[in-house]
Amino acid sequence: MRIPTKRKFGLAHLLFKGISQEALGKIGIAIIIIFGVMALVSPFVINIDPDVYDPLIGVDPLIFSSQGPTLTHPLGTDHLGRDVFSQLLKGSQIAFLVGITVGLMATLIGTAIGLISGYFRGVTDSLLMRVTDIILSIPSLPLLIMILCVFEHRGIWVIVMVLGLTGWPITARVIRSQTLSLRERPFVKSARVSGASDWRIILIHIAPNVLPLTFLYMTIGVTYAILTEAGLGFLGFSDPTISSWGMMLQWCFSTGHTFKALYWMIPPGLSISLLALSFYLVGYSLEKEINPRLREP
Amino acid sequence: MGYLANRLIMTVITLFVILTVTFTMFRLMPGDPSIFFISPQMSTETIARIKAQFGLDQPIHKQFTNYLGSILHGNFGHSFFYKRPVLEVIGERLLNTIVLFLPAAIISYLVGVSLGRYMAWKRGGKSEKVLIFTGLSFWTFFVPWLGLLMIWVFSYKFGLFPVGGMITPDKWLPGSSVLVKTLDLLHHLVSPLACYVLTWFAGNMLVMRNSMLETIGEDYILTVRAKGLSERKIRNKHAARNAILPVVTAFSMSIAYSIGGCVLLETVFSWPGIGRTMVDSVLLRDYPLAQASFILIATVVLVTNLITDILYAYLDPRIRY
Repeated sequence: MRIPTKRKFGLAHLLFKGISQEALGKIGIAIIIIFGVMALVSPFVINIDPDVYDPLIGVDPLIFSSQGPTLTHPLGTDHLGRDVFSQLLKGSQIAFLVGITVGLMATLIGTAIGLISGYFRGVTDSLLMRVTDIILSIPSLPLLIMILCVFEHRGIWVIVMVLGLTGWPITARVIRSQTLSLRERPFVKSARVSGASDWRIILIHIAPNVLPLTFLYMTIGVTYAILTEAGLGFLGFSDPTISSWGMMLQWCFSTGHTFKALYWMIPPGLSISLLALSFYLVGYSLEKEINPRLREP
Repeated sequence: MGYLANRLIMTVITLFVILTVTFTMFRLMPGDPSIFFISPQMSTETIARIKAQFGLDQPIHKQFTNYLGSILHGNFGHSFFYKRPVLEVIGERLLNTIVLFLPAAIISYLVGVSLGRYMAWKRGGKSEKVLIFTGLSFWTFFVPWLGLLMIWVFSYKFGLFPVGGMITPDKWLPGSSVLVKTLDLLHHLVSPLACYVLTWFAGNMLVMRNSMLETIGEDYILTVRAKGLSERKIRNKHAARNAILPVVTAFSMSIAYSIGGCVLLETVFSWPGIGRTMVDSVLLRDYPLAQASFILIATVVLVTNLITDILYAYLDPRIRY
């Protein structure tokens, strides 16, 4: 007799149902697809004319200051004559890269810690939860600024690492409480009685049922990563060799073009907010599917 | 009171961890640890004197205990840029941040809770969808961008509010009345405060809504309704009272996240607070000031967390015993 390991409907089904039933979820996915296409298209656009379209060094030889939108420059140029549109495209690549890497990292760590903490309980649980509390109380943006102050090398991977290593506590807490309740379910008890080892129970019986929540918190993690990296970029602490959206706003702000060059100020900020919102909307519609009480009456 | 003692101990431990992390970070910097105390512009005699005074040749654990001791005495060192003790520089800035942070926290908590309560009670309908979408849009809005937009619309185009800063020096000359000074401060406070509240309230609102929806399904709400109480009484006195507990927990977790928003807002609005001090001092390589700002920002978060924990203990009698 095979002990059932998960519910009848898996993660994919939940995702699909959640998003297709909720208008906000559809909007979220649509926005993600638009920016995803931008990210994928960017290498090809940039190769059209490297003199003009490379986000960092592609300076249009005919332009020396920030100019408005024209045919060659759909969104105008920044103060050095670089094309804003290709900066935007490159920025979407960066946003997805940073967002998804950090999201994955933080969620994997958080889920692992939540599972271990919730399943084994006792001293392990207390210790892990204390560590979680401590990391939760440390503000991440100031911490990142301090770390980047100390390490003069401003690489994007330092940022990704720190964000991934500090973004897991909330996931851990939620997964832990879910594990605590799943642990007492009949299917887990019957698995234990038939001699399954602890790790087998965690990985094969409990983890798949915790997966929808994991995915939900991954969307939140991606949003957090995009917004924090953009915030760092805005302050000028992100990698100066890549044109992330936050850095674009920083260049606009610090060269005094905030009100003079709206074609430069609006697109990056709008993109950051829209992409962050879209992931959150996907998470919101997924949450509705997971928690039946939240659905429409 | 075991719960509160527990939380107090956790706060002290977290502060210790933060101090240790900061100490380690600066010792890990490439080069001499004296980078931290010695500005390159000092003369060689001063450098030698400071080195002897701060005991930079002593073993690392002795340095660490000296470090902890001096911080507990309020001695954060000398700012390179301002040429004054760091504590003097920071003291004024800390108050400025609290003037922005505390009202924002209170207002976004209250607004979020009342909106969430209202939304959960009136299930379905247009208003709920609109509120959720608006709330989510603002929660994920890029904070500096919202600030820039507000400055553009309200200060640049319509001239309603000042572009930045905390005060207009003209109005604060000796001799001007307290009323004028207060109104000037409030006038400067509106824009950054509005941005702050807009980006913070939705978190509370959604958690409150979810929590209320769970509470409403409970049996005791049915009982109370059978007793014949008014809808309003049921909502406020019975459902909301119990639903509010997860909100306080979630609020407590959002404080560390939102102080990052405070740093960004202070930069955009040129608000002379501790967040902007940290950013500026990092850019200027003024390490003592940067370190002290970071420690103080973390302390603000810890103190606010402790206050919310006390609030939680007050609201939930179960955990007190």
